[in-house]
Amino acid sequence: MHAEHLTQAEADEYALGVLEPDAQRAYAQHALACDECRARILDAQRVIALLALAPPVQAPPPGLKRRVLRAARARRGRAWLPRLARLSPAAAALVATAAAVVSIAAVISLRGQVESLRDENALLQSKVDDALSQRFEIVALTNRLSQAEASAWEAQYESQLDRDMLMAVLSPDSQTAEVISVADGFTPVGRLIWDGQQQRLWFVASRLPKLAEGETYQLWVNVDGRYRSLGTFQPDESGFARFVRYLPEGLARYESAVVTIERAGGSPERTGPGVFFVADLSAFR
Amino acid sequence: MGWERDPSAPAVRTYGSAGELTWGAPPTAGDLAEWSDDSLMAAVVARDPDAFGVLYDRYAPLVYTTCLRVVGEPAMAEDLVQDIFVRLWQRPEAFIPARGRFVTWLLSITRNRAVDEVRSRNRRRMRELPEPKDAPFAPVATARADDPVSLAELREEQVAVRQALAQLPPEQRRVLELAFFGGYTHQEIATRLREPLGTVKTRIRLGMQKLRASLERLR
Repeated sequence: MHAEHLTQAEADEYALGVLEPDAQRAYAQHALACDECRARILDAQRVIALLALAPPVQAPPPGLKRRVLRAARARRGRAWLPRLARLSPAAAALVATAAAVVSIAAVISLRGQVESLRDENALLQSKVDDALSQRFEIVALTNRLSQAEASAWEAQYESQLDRDMLMAVLSPDSQTAEVISVADGFTPVGRLIWDGQQQRLWFVASRLPKLAEGETYQLWVNVDGRYRSLGTFQPDESGFARFVRYLPEGLARYESAVVTIERAGGSPERTGPGVFFVADLSAFR
Repeated sequence: MGWERDPSAPAVRTYGSAGELTWGAPPTAGDLAEWSDDSLMAAVVARDPDAFGVLYDRYAPLVYTTCLRVVGEPAMAEDLVQDIFVRLWQRPEAFIPARGRFVTWLLSITRNRAVDEVRSRNRRRMRELPEPKDAPFAPVATARADDPVSLAELREEQVAVRQALAQLPPEQRRVLELAFFGGYTHQEIATRLREPLGTVKTRIRLGMQKLRASLERLR
């Protein structure tokens, strides 16, 4: 949700519909809870609507009015009452007589009808206000649903990773090596797992210290004296990290593996200090 | 049930107050043509088809033009006009006079409905906006004799809006045109014009600032 009040420019952008869907939803969600911003958006809509007056106006086809009136008549609840002016004189007299009879009863109930209409009008007004609020609520609900779907997908993905890592540990084609801390203050518990069947390398560790902003952990393997990056990773809030990477093409063995601290996004060459060292995986099978 | 002939009849919100409804002959089309929009809408709330017909005559050209500019196809524009007016007949209470003028409300729902239609039909790739010589916001700072707009007040407002747009730099007019009639987002406009996203955003903001200042009195 958009945290700040919308500026006039932002309200204009919302009313004009030029925002990307995420921003449009965030603004709508904010407006749902903010009378001031909702009023600003309504005001922007009034200015923007005037732009429709700019182009040269074209008359609609002559037959369209008849079509619209017919469609409206078809969809209204009660009969479209005949107008006296359109009837023959005899029919008009008949209708007028009938109307006079009916009007006696109608006059009696007129005050009741006025009261009823007043109540109905107030009810309709509240329904319109409710509809406006519900429109914003629907946007907010849609947003929450999207977030829930994303969380569910993420949980499913994590569960799949758990299963894959378990299979890698259990597979006879796998090798496991202990992660050794080589920096002061680092006491991780971790393993490097080579999954020979899937040709994937897993790095899993806990108690990893949180890094400063702008820094990341990066995993390297040393091949013939040259470090090759296998990618970067960040631990979660509890210090746990699970990192998996398919083996880069052309890499069939390594002599050691090391984790360094590099700048965010990763470094093309190893520059940072080594914090973990993995030595006892002599080769991939 | 008839309506007072006073064209300054009250608006929807106060429709139920005492003394507004009178008995008598139904107003003629000529009478109704003099009524204000709010009075006509109050009559439509009371299910008066003649008032509805007058509103159609008054605003169908504007609604049709807006739809046609957005969707680009006369048949689809006609369907939209029908849909918008039938909804107006079915739910006239959706217009709340306290929130603004009828014409801006109607044009706002018209433009939004047309843009939604285009987006839902995913016709954007097949649709081309008019060339600059026919651009809807081309600077025409005068009234046009062939504009089928019936109200003198509306004609004056057309001139005011055209003058406000004529005072904008062409590049600001163009981005507003793409946003309003094209229904494009910032990013889509930037892609279409091959301009940086920030440039497009700035043009829209500056253009809207100037329009707001020029059109303040018409809201």
